[in-house]
Amino acid sequence: MNDVRTARAFIRSRGRGPTSWSDRYVSLFTLTVAAAVLADPLTTAFAALTATSRQVDPSRLGAGIALVALAYAGFLSLARRVGPVVLPATDAAWLLLSPLPRRNVLRRTSAILLAASLASGAGLSLALFAVLAGSAGHDTLVLAVAVLVGLSAAVGGMAAAVVAQSSPTWESWLRGAVVSLVVAAVLTAVAGSGPGRQVLAAVTGAPRSLGAALAGLSAAAALLLVRQAWRALGRIHVSSLLATSTRAGHLAAAAVVMDPGALTWAAEDNHWRARVLRSRPWPALLSRGAPWSRHAVSAPMALAWHDWRRLARRPGRLTALLGTAALPALAAQAQGGLSAVAVTVLIAGALTAAAVCTAGARRDGEDPGLARLFGVNVRAVLAARALLPFLMSAAWLTLALGVLTVTGALTGPWWLLGPLAAPALAAGALRMARRRPIDHSMPVIDTPSGAVPTGWVVWALTGVDVAAIGCAPMLYALAVRPPDPGAFVAAQAVCGIAVLAAFLLGAKTGVRRG
Amino acid sequence: MTEPIIVVRDVHVELGGTAVLRDVDLTVARGDIVAVLGVNGVGKSTLLRCIAGLQPPASGELGVLDRPPSDDSGFWRDVVLVGDEPAWYPGLTVQEHLELMHAVHRSSRLDVEVALDLFDLEKRRDMAPATLSTGQRQRLSLAMALLRPSLLLLLDEPERGLDSAFRSRLAAILTEYAAAGGTVVMATHDLEFARHARARELTLEAAA
Repeated sequence: MNDVRTARAFIRSRGRGPTSWSDRYVSLFTLTVAAAVLADPLTTAFAALTATSRQVDPSRLGAGIALVALAYAGFLSLARRVGPVVLPATDAAWLLLSPLPRRNVLRRTSAILLAASLASGAGLSLALFAVLAGSAGHDTLVLAVAVLVGLSAAVGGMAAAVVAQSSPTWESWLRGAVVSLVVAAVLTAVAGSGPGRQVLAAVTGAPRSLGAALAGLSAAAALLLVRQAWRALGRIHVSSLLATSTRAGHLAAAAVVMDPGALTWAAEDNHWRARVLRSRPWPALLSRGAPWSRHAVSAPMALAWHDWRRLARRPGRLTALLGTAALPALAAQAQGGLSAVAVTVLIAGALTAAAVCTAGARRDGEDPGLARLFGVNVRAVLAARALLPFLMSAAWLTLALGVLTVTGALTGPWWLLGPLAAPALAAGALRMARRRPIDHSMPVIDTPSGAVPTGWVVWALTGVDVAAIGCAPMLYALAVRPPDPGAFVAAQAVCGIAVLAAFLLGAKTGVRRG
Repeated sequence: MTEPIIVVRDVHVELGGTAVLRDVDLTVARGDIVAVLGVNGVGKSTLLRCIAGLQPPASGELGVLDRPPSDDSGFWRDVVLVGDEPAWYPGLTVQEHLELMHAVHRSSRLDVEVALDLFDLEKRRDMAPATLSTGQRQRLSLAMALLRPSLLLLLDEPERGLDSAFRSRLAAILTEYAAAGGTVVMATHDLEFARHARARELTLEAAA
């Protein structure tokens, strides 16, 4: 028994007992039941994915590859953000700051990372197979190539992230790889619907031996990266591990209180803590020198200006957010038309664009200490804070509807709905920002599909409800797609403004949220 | 005594079935500085929360500025509470938090540069509050509270995290605030600080 095992055995002997046969039986039984429950929907989804891609034109293939590349870029970014090497808070506090061999302390974490990579790799493989099957056929070789490339990419990517945690050079390479993937995804999507159709058509007709060679190469590269990561684990710096483990502690705490909002604050605070800022005065028009403004208007606007400054200080995030306006068109292209998935991506994206600009309302909702210190009328501040989410969601939605029109998924002046739906989206985002934590005391309702915790449901729907009501004319228009959407445009204009006005008038004026 | 700002009569507060305050009486006039003293758990913070309208009493009478205290923006225009550290706005520096307070309140008591100097924060002006030490964050809270105009200042252990030199300076700042017509009620464990601020002492006894 090595030293780390001795330490872990000692900890176990003071707490939970050793794993018994009944524990193993329960674990095995749980896995079997989960497999039995998930087998049917997964097989159906798999069949649906491959069936819909039997006859694929180059534009759909391009969109499919672009979505897979974006998903992989997301996987690498998540691995970078999480650590990826983290330890439980207790291990970080006791085992890390001890003379025990670093690699042995991290052995369990490594196994978890490998399992996570394999699970993500399986998802990537499935998506890749769904994309390739349409043009290259359904035979075993295509499946094997998809599985090998998907698993190698995920395992290799995770290994690269592990090396990057202790090497700034690798870190910059990994960041470059994420950016390259996003650029490649955009180019592939554009190429598929335009100038590069012939290139994509040539890819679909490539010899199968090339696919096999690619799979072999990716597997070899992944093995090399895993070897490199295993070496890096032995010399990974303690400060990096402590930082990521503290972040993991935030995640665990958020999971215990089951408040997903806490996760975003942990990321936000880490971001600003690591940056040097340059103080700038508040705009003269909002500060006390403005000759035209009445205090009742300028004070709430001054308070709301915080969100504008925060957004301006993250230009990369703003650019990425506006870049995601192409996702609905990409989803529509991959599925051969404006499907329910594409409409969901459209609405979720527009609501997200509004929600990222509501940090001030969220902060005051969760901790009203500063709001009390400022002593400004809550309803007036809320109205002032609605302006930025309105503009952001209007810009995002107009852009997304414009791209859908340019790519042929929609025809007509649909972009008009962007600014008209934005007031409702702003109201939804502000309501979301002010919602209370999940109420776990609410009843759990048994349904034929399983138990539904109503506390979670109410929390998840708060904000989405107002946005959905306010965007109802647009959603209905997208569902029926009338040749002349004029009546829906008028209805959306009235509905959007009415929902925002009702939300602001109904908001409680007390400092406490409600 | 001049016009009373705070009137507390026979206030009784229970938390979780345990009496925290029993038959507390307090009258504070404009320009007064009152230091609420007592051992841990005696109810000093609870009394401040009652005066701030954040803790309704089980019985008794409470009046602040001729009205019952209430947690709304009208009340907070006149009253300032510095208690637990607030959650700072993300993406703003120390100076920008003060600039924001200055922009919101047209008739600020202090200029931003004066506040930075008075609270020893000039060298930290471009830092995010989260990167400051505990004492520096407490100075920022106090600077924001004293930059804006107010009639009543409620301070819960204002000396928390402050070094002894700055405690003396804070006592002088509070004395100036009271001399200008403001009223201060503070819960504190530092008797010397309270005496430096020339505060009237009110020692609470355990209710249970």
